[in-house]
Amino acid sequence: MTGVYEAVAIGEVVIAALLLIRLASGPTVSDRIVALNTISTQAALAVLFFAAFARRTIYLDVALWLASFSYLGAIVWSRYLERGLL
Amino acid sequence: MREGIVIALAAIGGFFSLTGAVGMLRMPDVYCRIQCSSMTITMGALPLLVALVVGEGPVSSYGSRALLVAALLLIVNPAASHALARAAYKTGVPMWPGAVADQVRDQVAAEAQSEAQ
Amino acid sequence: MSAFWLLDYLLLALILTSALLVLLLRNLNGAVMALSAAGTLLSVLFVVLGAPDVAHSEVVVGAIALPVLYLVAIGKSRTVVDDPALGETREQDSAAT
Repeated sequence: MTGVYEAVAIGEVVIAALLLIRLASGPTVSDRIVALNTISTQAALAVLFFAAFARRTIYLDVALWLASFSYLGAIVWSRYLERGLL
Repeated sequence: MREGIVIALAAIGGFFSLTGAVGMLRMPDVYCRIQCSSMTITMGALPLLVALVVGEGPVSSYGSRALLVAALLLIVNPAASHALARAAYKTGVPMWPGAVADQVRDQVAAEAQSEAQ
Repeated sequence: MSAFWLLDYLLLALILTSALLVLLLRNLNGAVMALSAAGTLLSVLFVVLGAPDVAHSEVVVGAIALPVLYLVAIGKSRTVVDDPALGETREQDSAAT
């Protein structure tokens, strides 16, 4: 079972590498925001599965923080695009 | 039995995450990419989290955290995608030239026409 | 044990790539976004290296707080850039920001 968790954690990081290409080459800022949001969610999943692989309960909170902050980041960026911060 | 279910769910989630990432690279404009990102969450992340819940049991610390993250993503990701698409449309990001429908533009045009009459 | 090494080097390569993107992207918003990606991936690397407390502070500071501060600074000090050699034309700017 831990082999599955290990494979999923590595796979999520590889998918984040693919999304980083879109972040590098996105023609508009909105493309980059979408890629960044997805990278953040994939990082949360990678941390969650790494915690299950390494059998450490304390790593799980980082995944919760990452998942909730990906939402906050998307909201902040879209507000910045619409009206500007401040 | 349980390990088979975990492997199957992880395979489904990994496949849809990979196709979502490839779609992010291949899709022609922002709105299609937002749809790919949403698919990566809904069909990619949720089966993986369900695999973790099945593998560890829903009352273990891993399973409960996975359920919490799944509920968070399920509530929060449509709102984030909606805000991103709305911001992209409002700042005038062009659509792909082959796009066939822009209902917001049609509705705005219809409202302007009815006001003119 | 191989997952530790593999994740370690993969994340190191990704962090190097995004740090290079911060330097090489001429679009200021894109550079700030690459900085945020670097913070997120660095927090994953801290978890892999066994420091979840540092990862917590890295998520809050490196992925959210620092890019937001940079965004405020860019929004306050922005003059109109119209230089195609830098990859920033006025049309693209108004469409993108």
